[in-house]
Amino acid sequence: MAERPTSPHLSVYRMYRYTLLTSVLNRATGLVLALGLILMVYWLMALAAGPAAYARAAALLGLGVFKLVWLALLAVFSYHLCAGVRHLVWDTGRGLERAQSRASAYLVLIASAVVFVALAAWLLGRGQAS
Amino acid sequence: MAEFRLPANSRIRTGVTHEAPPGAREVRKLRIYRFDPSSGQNPRLDTFELDVADCGPMVLDALIRIKASVDSSLTFRRSCREGICGSCAMNIDGVNRLACTTSLHDLGREIRIYPLPHMPVVKDLVADLTQFYAQYASVKPWLQAQTPPPPDSERLQSKEEQERIDRPAACILCACCSTACPSYWWNSDRYLGPAALLAAYRWIIDSRDEASGERLDALEDPFKLYRCHTIMNCTDVCPKDLNPAKAIAEIKKMLVQRQS
Repeated sequence: MAERPTSPHLSVYRMYRYTLLTSVLNRATGLVLALGLILMVYWLMALAAGPAAYARAAALLGLGVFKLVWLALLAVFSYHLCAGVRHLVWDTGRGLERAQSRASAYLVLIASAVVFVALAAWLLGRGQAS
Repeated sequence: MAEFRLPANSRIRTGVTHEAPPGAREVRKLRIYRFDPSSGQNPRLDTFELDVADCGPMVLDALIRIKASVDSSLTFRRSCREGICGSCAMNIDGVNRLACTTSLHDLGREIRIYPLPHMPVVKDLVADLTQFYAQYASVKPWLQAQTPPPPDSERLQSKEEQERIDRPAACILCACCSTACPSYWWNSDRYLGPAALLAAYRWIIDSRDEASGERLDALEDPFKLYRCHTIMNCTDVCPKDLNPAKAIAEIKKMLVQRQS
């Protein structure tokens, strides 16, 4: 007999369900943060390489495009942070009932937006001051 | 390993359309996954236009109606038609549920029905559950005790002790939870999945069972237990309103607590 086919999964499952959506977002933001770390390492290496290298890196990373990248990384960081806290609470055995986990999914979205706005305002404010 | 694309023999072709009978009053389109092992062909998606005014209220009624009057080769499992046997679990409009407790009126004009996700398909909506049952058996879902029962009575429990296992013991093994779990999709060869872990938990916390230590030993494994990443699809879809995700979290906690 021919091998049995595998029933469809990702292509048919409802992805916008809050469970899958928050899980995929958490992983995707983690991945983006890891990539963002490359920029951070570049900046740190420039810092260690002396004033001339640092001036070049600072000029490059200060470009408008990179300001947008930083803002995006900040948004991604805010979500990943809040989602991580949700997982920590879950690991204590709390908040795992259906209604609770649905509520916390929305709570994480709201909280991460607040954290993002607060962090962005603080950083932009510092940028203005200096 | 995570294999996001379906293998070549599993990709779905367009199937045939069975049009609604003349004079139909309330037509719904049911798009149903079909696979005939004797055809040697890939699975296909057939469309059945059904007059739901002339049919019972549940998705299972619609399937039975189609089998009785449109296409007798349509194959699916069903038995109790009241959500206690767990036979008719399938993926309806993107979510795993029991066909017999899902009302047609809660769904749209077009209803997509597939077998339980990421499972070997025997025929049409019938998934091969051999491995799922083997995983259930592997957690030894029966009472293990060295102490003999009292000679003149059963092994008694307090009301509270019974209430702790009331919910986990109500599992009907429909496999909605395990086949909704992406971790189970990618690692079902080594990850036990929510249903089997819920059963394990049910026996670990049973006041009469004396093998909790061995049961925890057996689960302390990077794959069997720890492939759970708290995605919560299991608890989200359970048709009996049980909570496998919480059971798994409690097992993880017990494993940490016994180290100290």
